[in-house]
Amino acid sequence: MSYAYYPGCASHGLSKDVDIATRKVFETLGLKLEEVKDWNCCGGGFLDEYDEIGHIALNLRNLSIVEKMGYTKMVTPCSVCLHSHRLATFKYKENKDLRKEAEKRMKGTSISYQGKATAEHIVWVLVRDVGVEKIKERVKRPLTGLRVASYYGCQMLRPEEIMGFESAYKPHSMEDLIAATGATPVPFPMNKACCGFPLMGSNPKVGIKLAFNVLKSAKDQQADIMVHPCSLCHLQLDSLQTRIMSEFNVNWTMPAIYITQLLGLAFGFSPEELGIGKYATEVLKSKGVI
Amino acid sequence: MSLQNEEVEVIIKVKRFSPEKGNWWQEYKLRVDRFTQFTEALRRIKTEQDPTLAYRASCHMTVCGSCGMKINGEPRLACKTLVLDMVKKYESNVITIEPMDYFKPIKDLIVDLDDFYQRMYKVKPRLYPSEQVLKGEAEHRLKPEDQRMLWKFAQCIWCGLCVSSCPSVRNDPEFLGPAAHAKGFRFLADPRDTITEEREKILLDSAWRCTYCYMCYNVCPRDVEPVTAIKKTRAYTKIAKVKTPVIETGEKHTEAVFNSIFESGKIEEAKVYLSTYGLIGSLRDMIFLLKSGKLNYALIKEKPVENITEVRKILRGE
Repeated sequence: MSYAYYPGCASHGLSKDVDIATRKVFETLGLKLEEVKDWNCCGGGFLDEYDEIGHIALNLRNLSIVEKMGYTKMVTPCSVCLHSHRLATFKYKENKDLRKEAEKRMKGTSISYQGKATAEHIVWVLVRDVGVEKIKERVKRPLTGLRVASYYGCQMLRPEEIMGFESAYKPHSMEDLIAATGATPVPFPMNKACCGFPLMGSNPKVGIKLAFNVLKSAKDQQADIMVHPCSLCHLQLDSLQTRIMSEFNVNWTMPAIYITQLLGLAFGFSPEELGIGKYATEVLKSKGVI
Repeated sequence: MSLQNEEVEVIIKVKRFSPEKGNWWQEYKLRVDRFTQFTEALRRIKTEQDPTLAYRASCHMTVCGSCGMKINGEPRLACKTLVLDMVKKYESNVITIEPMDYFKPIKDLIVDLDDFYQRMYKVKPRLYPSEQVLKGEAEHRLKPEDQRMLWKFAQCIWCGLCVSSCPSVRNDPEFLGPAAHAKGFRFLADPRDTITEEREKILLDSAWRCTYCYMCYNVCPRDVEPVTAIKKTRAYTKIAKVKTPVIETGEKHTEAVFNSIFESGKIEEAKVYLSTYGLIGSLRDMIFLLKSGKLNYALIKEKPVENITEVRKILRGE
């Protein structure tokens, strides 16, 4: 199977390890990821407030390229990129006024969106198209004994009518993938709550509090490590560990890795090959996983 | 069996509360058919099994907003939710009902909504017409396109579900909450209203305290999309005269995002960081990144979009 691949800006920047691990996992599973040619930023959840029409047009530009490449699915490892593209196509199809304005904006460009290509999350593709059984077959290093908190966050689940893959209240895709590695999935009360990343650009004091709430909730359930499905949650939950320790005066960490980093470990890759950070590597060593 | 005659026995577990006894769970069994709403199920429990059960319900048709509660953990209106739909969705005939989160419980499923009403009143939820209109010397006129835009945000029925599920409300006392923002924007953007500047002062700082989690969008039984109202409110920042530190930071960040996309077609994280937080703030975050062992990724230079003129054309709207 072959998919058009949209990494998104963060996965080619500070969350590069997300991109690295995703490519390795797909390759191991015999799946081809063909990067969308000359893709542009989706607007990262912010552009639509600044320029709603421009946001729609930019997202349709990517999907139009995907259609020209001969694909109907554009897979992304980032929940925000997923949300942005699906929101843009939803508005374009459902809101006549916005559609008219967006078409004016796209006139004279190369964009020719036919409505065939849609954005999908790589988690959906792994669970639905590949299947948990096939993933299990590739496991070389079962992560037995590792308690993994399953975090979903916001944008992969909500709004349900636009995301549509699973219930926003009782999702199970992340647990299914964790279980496939041999690790123990640990659901926790805040696993569908916001990580606070969108607030970091205006009200970081509360943004970091939201991140702390999520990490603490997982810690309270005795999880060893957390997995998440988003390049921007990665920036918030993984890269902010030391800042959280400092600002909330706590001496624990709750390392947060991307879901394909966990799968990659089970497939036999080393933490270094998957770009796994310092704190997560320490936990994996202490649990005897690596 | 036809769908119309389908009957199923369900167990409804209600999280009850009294100030004297605190919380406890109580189970009720009843038979429902495919037309039974949760308000009807609760009415039958109260009249046929347990008169002590307390809940609010009035219109039974998604208009009054009084029957907000959590059904199988989902914030929902009981009147708009069919029992068998939840049985099918969760593949279980055991269903839980709890009062809405965040608000103080009074008795069983009834919560104290004073906090919600205060939030709504803060945004002055009424039109302030011009003197001429009040004196009968002119008429209120609204263009169809303006009405189409405002209509969605005027549909709020004050049920409180969005506030009960909002993380920013819980963590930031200065955030007005989704419902108040939808109502506030409905008047802020109404061309007939005369207190725009005052509304900006009330709404703008709060708008930058929303975390865009889309919980309000998801739970609203009237499809109001409060988060969309908040996004549209933030657009008023460009013309606002008074700007708090939260507004200024948010504005810098959004402009930095736009500028980065305009210049390269992508978000260049280092530039956005510097523009939003300044040199000192960026250096502090670099130190945290260094400690997390992730600083190497900060130095990655992503290639810009080749067809950047097209991206700029899209954004300029030429």
